[in-house]
Amino acid sequence: MTRLKIKQNHDERISSPKLLSSESSAKGAGLTRRRFNRALMTMSALAASGSLPVRSAIASEPIKIGFGMAQSGPLGGNGKAALLAIEMWRDNINARGGLLGRAVQLVYYDDQTNPTLIPGIYSKLFDVDKVDLVLGGYGTAVQAAALPIVMQRKQVLIGTGAVAVNEKYKYDKYFQMLPNGSTARTSTSEGFFQAAMTMDPKPKTVAIVGAVTEFSRNVILGARENAKKYGLKIVYDGGYPPNQMEFGSILRSVQAANPEVVFVASYPPDSAGVIRTAYEQKLQTRMFGGAMIGLQYSELKQQLGPMLNNVLCYEFYVPAPTTNFPGIKEFLAMYQERAKKAGADLLGFYLPPYAYAGMEVLEKAVTAIKGLDPNAIGRYIHANTFDTVVGKVTFAPNGDWAKPRLLYVQYQGIVGNDLEQFKRIGTQVIIEPQEFAYGKLYYPFAASGH
Amino acid sequence: MRRIPSWIWPVLVALFILALSRVVKNEYYMFAGYVVLQYIVLASAWNILGGYSGYVNFGSAAFFGIGAYGAVVLDKLWQPPLVVAIVFGGIVASLVGLVTAYLTLRLRGVFFAIATLALAIVLQTLVMNWDFVGGPLGYYSVRPDSIAGFPSYVNYLFVIMLGLALIAVLVARAIELSFIGRGLAAIRDNELAAECCGVPTLRLKVFATMVSGGLMGMAGAPFPYYITYLDPNSAFSLAYGINSIAMPLIGGMTHWIGPVIGAVLLAVIQQVATVTISSELNLMIVGVLLISFITLAPNGIVGLFERYRQKRQRRLST
Repeated sequence: MTRLKIKQNHDERISSPKLLSSESSAKGAGLTRRRFNRALMTMSALAASGSLPVRSAIASEPIKIGFGMAQSGPLGGNGKAALLAIEMWRDNINARGGLLGRAVQLVYYDDQTNPTLIPGIYSKLFDVDKVDLVLGGYGTAVQAAALPIVMQRKQVLIGTGAVAVNEKYKYDKYFQMLPNGSTARTSTSEGFFQAAMTMDPKPKTVAIVGAVTEFSRNVILGARENAKKYGLKIVYDGGYPPNQMEFGSILRSVQAANPEVVFVASYPPDSAGVIRTAYEQKLQTRMFGGAMIGLQYSELKQQLGPMLNNVLCYEFYVPAPTTNFPGIKEFLAMYQERAKKAGADLLGFYLPPYAYAGMEVLEKAVTAIKGLDPNAIGRYIHANTFDTVVGKVTFAPNGDWAKPRLLYVQYQGIVGNDLEQFKRIGTQVIIEPQEFAYGKLYYPFAASGH
Repeated sequence: MRRIPSWIWPVLVALFILALSRVVKNEYYMFAGYVVLQYIVLASAWNILGGYSGYVNFGSAAFFGIGAYGAVVLDKLWQPPLVVAIVFGGIVASLVGLVTAYLTLRLRGVFFAIATLALAIVLQTLVMNWDFVGGPLGYYSVRPDSIAGFPSYVNYLFVIMLGLALIAVLVARAIELSFIGRGLAAIRDNELAAECCGVPTLRLKVFATMVSGGLMGMAGAPFPYYITYLDPNSAFSLAYGINSIAMPLIGGMTHWIGPVIGAVLLAVIQQVATVTISSELNLMIVGVLLISFITLAPNGIVGLFERYRQKRQRRLST
């Protein structure tokens, strides 16, 4: 049965003064990483156990941060995970004395992954709830619908999970917490093609398959450019409608073209369907994968298990010797503890660290300028590099990451369907970018039976 | 004393809402009101074919989407005033209605319903593969902050939709009370008998489909400016089809006021639910209300009121 939740969350939980030492109640700028993490752990544990007292402790007027976030609809799972991360940040900041000495209160609504609800939701946030700051929801369509309203109010918008939203508006107070970077169209598939070209002998042909949807179309346009750039001949280039459930005919056509590399841009249900079909048909190719949304989720990792072996796909974060960013382990440990209760993704590698990092950026900017002036916040974020749980982040003039850092990961040695194995270093080996790479690329594709 | 004609009431209500829109500064109510008015247009338009003639049309989203993408095409070509886009959207949707009518109106019942549902899917697929309007990448329509004579552009959109709602209601009322309405009612009751009595059934059905589709297309034209980012999934959402049926069904399909009551009731509940209780309840609310009305009040709220009035009259006469 679908679990129904109260979506309007005017969260009144404010941290207890008893939990704050005189040191930790100082402004966030003077905090050490260790103290920060300790506060996060303490507050998250208390919040998770429901023992956080409800009382006004920090200042009379809380800072309200408003947003729409998918809690239902196709992207509801991601939205739940992102929301949990944002709540963890709220608990953390309130434990440290609040933002600018004021408690932080989240005001959020379920946008149902439906952009038509966005104008109503964001105008309510501004005009009725009177929020001080806003965040973007998850996904391109909802952020694209929210941006004009935020621009009209001249506020800052920090979003997670949207591609090329600011291309037309060029709004100077828009920021995107996504490692695809300002050249998202090509950078999303760049790592895949770079990895393909390391095979010996170098491949000469590629098949490109993707859903006819906003994300996939963007990625496919970039993949075509990359194929040309790396001198690969496109022997199959086909799209399929968004609700396609049967991939047998598509993959038979792909096989008929006999490509050495197969690049797929798909959404979660298709990603699972394409991989299962590739196994059923024992697809003969040297490299298989691409921008397959869904393989980053715990559910699909668990479902597909060994079928993921040798698939090369993008990830935002995986445990690796090269991704040991300060604070990420503590964040994930606490996230995973709370995720089960919150009904969110159990591993939390995909969106949660980025949603949390976005809040860290906002916190640092607000603390540094000692106010909520959107122009000053926007200028500060553009001018600085931020240390976050996902590493150092600098923004390009269009608000995307200045330097793309999408990880292309090959799943290796997956046995059975135990989720715990994905927490181990070595099951999701980073192949690209070289800055984070630590393993060897295996080929051909495991489904081909070699 | 002469009785006040009933068309005056929608006009007065519209004028009252117009006056109210000049006083209310809060844009949230403009956005929420826009959605309610949009559904009044869709529900009234649906009822012209579905309610009066009994042909259940599941393809409201198709006509709505045509209007929305018609506006996108014009916006890309020469950015005309919104009113021109609305007229264009209405004409194109009306023409598609004409073609659809000739192709599908020989079908009845579930076959007709499936044919109209397929129309929405076919058009969505076409738009998905039409790069000129953005295809699956969608289309960004930059909305101006303000427009002369209105406090904000959102207020302007609200007033435009108010005008469209008034037109839709007046057209629905005019059709219902004319010989066309009587002909459509005859088709609903028994099409064969109507044909035998000399009712030009095909012509009436084609006319109803064109008017219904045209009004839906007109409702879709301002949509890109309301949402600012239009993608095929939003423009051809099945929710339009479901709500367009549910609203007249709940309000009552045999009177022009029925769809208005249903649209106001259901759209307001949905708007409130979005920002109060779980939004997942939205579709469930529609479902529960639909089942309740189909079983307890098949003629909708208007039917309930009518039954109460007749009972009262009988009691008074005895």
